[in-house]
Amino acid sequence: MKNLLKVFRNSMFFLCMLFLFNGCSTNENNKNKTEVVTEKPLHAVDTVYIKQMQFNPAVLNVKIGDTILWINNDLVTHDVTSDKPNSFYSDTLHVGQSWKMPVKDSAGYHCSIHPTMLGKLVLK
Amino acid sequence: MKIFKFLTKTAICFAVSTGFLSLSADAQKTTKLTDPEIASVAVTANQIDIGYAKIAEKKSKNADILKFAETMAKDHQSVIDQAVALVTKLGVTPKTNATTKSFLAGAAKTKAMLNSKKGNAFNKAYIDNEVAYHKAAINEVENVLIPDATNGELKSLLQSALPLFKEHLAHAEMVQKEFSK
Repeated sequence: MKNLLKVFRNSMFFLCMLFLFNGCSTNENNKNKTEVVTEKPLHAVDTVYIKQMQFNPAVLNVKIGDTILWINNDLVTHDVTSDKPNSFYSDTLHVGQSWKMPVKDSAGYHCSIHPTMLGKLVLK
Repeated sequence: MKIFKFLTKTAICFAVSTGFLSLSADAQKTTKLTDPEIASVAVTANQIDIGYAKIAEKKSKNADILKFAETMAKDHQSVIDQAVALVTKLGVTPKTNATTKSFLAGAAKTKAMLNSKKGNAFNKAYIDNEVAYHKAAINEVENVLIPDATNGELKSLLQSALPLFKEHLAHAEMVQKEFSK
């Protein structure tokens, strides 16, 4: 009876070790997969800061599918409006707010509240 | 017609300069402005331009003038809000001074001049005054308020507001072209 119990205990220990080892190696594989994806991003995210009444950078080199994020770090409210009518435009961006948009084409844009503020997206 | 235009321009220049030239004279008489005095000047100067914008919103029907006036009202209110938040944080009470009084005296004359005009004559007078007022304000902020400010945060707020006033000037000059034809 004692021997039977010992065999059972040893078997359970072996099974647990096998299970743990298998779990670790699966995580390791997943980690490698994630790393491959981050190493080769399909599209970049670029940030344009709005500060001191300027879009910074004012001219940005982009690829179709990239995402542009505008962040209003200025004293007053701004917006992002395409120079082309009926193209893209953001809501009013209050201080601290941001807006993002995927790039579809090269474009000139401005702030419709402060029309002397200009920016450009140029395709690489 | 030319004489009328000349007289209008002269009246605006006089009204704007009354405030700012007497202001310079006062500034020469006194020594440096203190931080509470600077806070008072900054808030008053912004309030005055909101006052002009409110007159424009009442009297004008021109889309560009109305849009410009709306921007002035919102932007200058935003600067006031941040100035008030800063002085509250610093425990500074804005102190009325000779410069503030000169601003207010000049503004009273300009408001009377604007209220006496109608239609396109009003639009032109308003935008001409905005160009002159922002030029004078930029000069005051750059050459008096920023150099005199001793508190770092107050100085920094004034420095941050300078590009805003310069954009307002460029915007006003853009609108002014419409009325100088």
